[in-house]
Amino acid sequence: MEGSSFAARSVQLSFVAIVAGAWYLASETGSVSRLFLPPPREVIAAIERLVATQAFWSAVTVTLTTITKAFVIALVAGVLTGYVLTRSKLAMRVIEPVLSGLFTIPITLFLPMFILFFGIGAGSKVAYGATYAFFPIALNTIAAFSKAEERYLRAARSMGAGAWDCFRHVLLPGAMPVLITGMRIGFFICFASVLGGETISSVAGVGRNIALAAELMEPARMYAWIMFVILTSVTLNMVVYSVENRIRSR
Amino acid sequence: MNDIAISIRNVTQRFGGEGQADSVLALDDVSLDIRKGEFVCLLGPSGCGKSTLLNIVGGLFKPTTGTCTVEGRAVNGEPHPDKIAFVFQESTLFPWYTVIENFHIALKFQGIARTEWDDRAMAALRAVGMASFARHYPEQLSVGMRQRVNMARGICVGTDILLMDEPFAALDEQTRMVLGEDLSQLLAATKKTIVFVTHSLAEAVFLSDRIAVMTARPGKIKTIIDVNEPHPRSPDFMLESRFSELRNECYALLRDEIRATVAAQRDPQVAGS
Amino acid sequence: MNAPVIVASPPAAASKWRAILQSALWLRIGLLAAIVVALEIYGRIWADPAFMRPPTAIFEALRKEILPEPKVIAALYMCVAEIAAAYALSILFGVLIGLAVGASRFSRGAFFPIVLLLYAIPQVALLPLVILMFGLGPAAKIAFGLSHGIFPIIVNVVAGMRDVKELHMRAALSMGASRVDIVRYVVLPHMVPSLFTGLRLGMTMTLLGVILAELYVSQGGVGYYTRVFAESYNPAPLFALIGCLAAIAIAFNELVRIAEHNLTPGKRRTHALKASVKE
Repeated sequence: MEGSSFAARSVQLSFVAIVAGAWYLASETGSVSRLFLPPPREVIAAIERLVATQAFWSAVTVTLTTITKAFVIALVAGVLTGYVLTRSKLAMRVIEPVLSGLFTIPITLFLPMFILFFGIGAGSKVAYGATYAFFPIALNTIAAFSKAEERYLRAARSMGAGAWDCFRHVLLPGAMPVLITGMRIGFFICFASVLGGETISSVAGVGRNIALAAELMEPARMYAWIMFVILTSVTLNMVVYSVENRIRSR
Repeated sequence: MNDIAISIRNVTQRFGGEGQADSVLALDDVSLDIRKGEFVCLLGPSGCGKSTLLNIVGGLFKPTTGTCTVEGRAVNGEPHPDKIAFVFQESTLFPWYTVIENFHIALKFQGIARTEWDDRAMAALRAVGMASFARHYPEQLSVGMRQRVNMARGICVGTDILLMDEPFAALDEQTRMVLGEDLSQLLAATKKTIVFVTHSLAEAVFLSDRIAVMTARPGKIKTIIDVNEPHPRSPDFMLESRFSELRNECYALLRDEIRATVAAQRDPQVAGS
Repeated sequence: MNAPVIVASPPAAASKWRAILQSALWLRIGLLAAIVVALEIYGRIWADPAFMRPPTAIFEALRKEILPEPKVIAALYMCVAEIAAAYALSILFGVLIGLAVGASRFSRGAFFPIVLLLYAIPQVALLPLVILMFGLGPAAKIAFGLSHGIFPIIVNVVAGMRDVKELHMRAALSMGASRVDIVRYVVLPHMVPSLFTGLRLGMTMTLLGVILAELYVSQGGVGYYTRVFAESYNPAPLFALIGCLAAIAIAFNELVRIAEHNLTPGKRRTHALKASVKE
């Protein structure tokens, strides 16, 4: 890593220190409205209060369940669709550009439709998250299996490998790195879109609570929720990256 | 007739349908017999169809017309891994398996009992002096080492026939010479029938019992040159005047074909230049 | 990637028809047409009209309820303006910050991890805060579009500057190039494909940011009308409105794609296969 030198680390640490210091000064001196930026100690107190409530854990449970359901659906549908498409050159040429084209449109547009179809509860967020995450997973599955190198397949066939052997020992291990990348991207898109769906229109969950705190003008509570989401996602990022690296380095 | 290992009869290969714009005639009525225990080189300009011919013998391509029989059995686009092993141009070691796992998978594909895997793999690795690298991943080895392992993988499956598709093309000349000597020694020890595709003149003369010189596309066999020199061959063979004479003979035969190939790839020449 | 691949063939009539039938573009159009027809049949015969209407009814709603409605059209125009403004700001600041971060080994090592960390934060959690700070008008939507669009541009500008080949630099130096020459003739052309990858992803993300903010603010703009139509159980104008927004998104994406196609030198054009939003 280039960033590991002492000087680079100190720049990064001072960046964090400056942000934290600016937050403290701006809020404590009252030069920024407390509505936008409550002082750090109030946010910390709000976090402590929040974690102690039953409502906090039930909201987290709702959101996690929604994300899990959406991701599993997207994973199964995406990998299956992607793999089946790569089995036919024609299907690839016809459908792959449609999928990658659709993925450049914000699927968020269709959130009102999902809410119309599945109601304002968790069902519409599952559908929305699953639809959004489906695309990167399917597209990366296509990329993973269609770049299988002909020379390895030929070598395997010349050694007498059957169709299953080719899949198990050549196609699958060759596709694995890109497949995992697709799953990672899909997971974080799923995470963000479920959260977004809850923020925009829902009755429960973490996203709803952020929006609610904003509507009720309770900045400390809102910041507490935001902090919780940021910490969770940074932790998840680190966990997923280390798992991915472990799989990659074998 | 019984000492013929591979018999190629009137093989023609066309890619793309006849009469279509993208159709290519790669091989045109090729016939060749290869004896058991013989080392035959297919030598020709790039794109002349020598690899195509090798793939037909190996059963990876189905010839458009003509037949190919290996030890009396017709090969018609079906690999015969019990009789034929392939060593390819680029390293075809699977990068997701270690060296030893690559051998295991090859033996597994061949349907060889699991109990034999380790012994056979290690024997083949020892034969090329790579036994201590069994647990490495291919990308941890140099190109020369990888190709040595790749060659050993082709040998460990124990077929009588070995098809080699420009196995040394990615190597530098010095590594190439060392591997060529190794191959000559292995050949003397195992008595395998080997068909070897190359566009290197020196390699062809140094390794072959017979050299089949091919024409520019569509590939035909132009001449067959005999090299009467017992295996294993020592590097001194390269210094003999007979070596240079054979090499020059091959070059004389190939020169026009190479020109024809290059002419087909560049701008039309101005007359007289 | 989107170009139809028509295999060249002799002018024999039969094979010409085969070529047309097998050409990806026509098959794609056929497939999409089949889906529309299927939706039409489903919408007319089985669907509950409170949730689903056939495409012809949606088109009818577009003609009668969306296009003649000046307030809806104004909201759509505002949405286009917000996207354009947010994207322009994303390019301006994204390229400037990217050049600054990528300028030297040190600045890259020090600042790039910060950029990546900020990029990894799910910004949607900040949406209520952004609305609180910038209000319900276009400013909030532009800000949210900018905060989404800027990161892929920074990341790809930095990546493009990093991967300049040492050999190309040495070749240029051997030909007598100055420092300025190297930036002008080696570094900049080299980073063009990467820059366009960033611009393409940046557009996708800007669209996402603006649409998220639009939908969140239900007191005005496009978000207001989606809510009104959805709550009145009258799906035809809702679908028509979503269709209009999708058309806007497609038009913006196409603009970027055409620019990329025409401005990328040589054969180094990258295509969108791995359009990974957070790579």
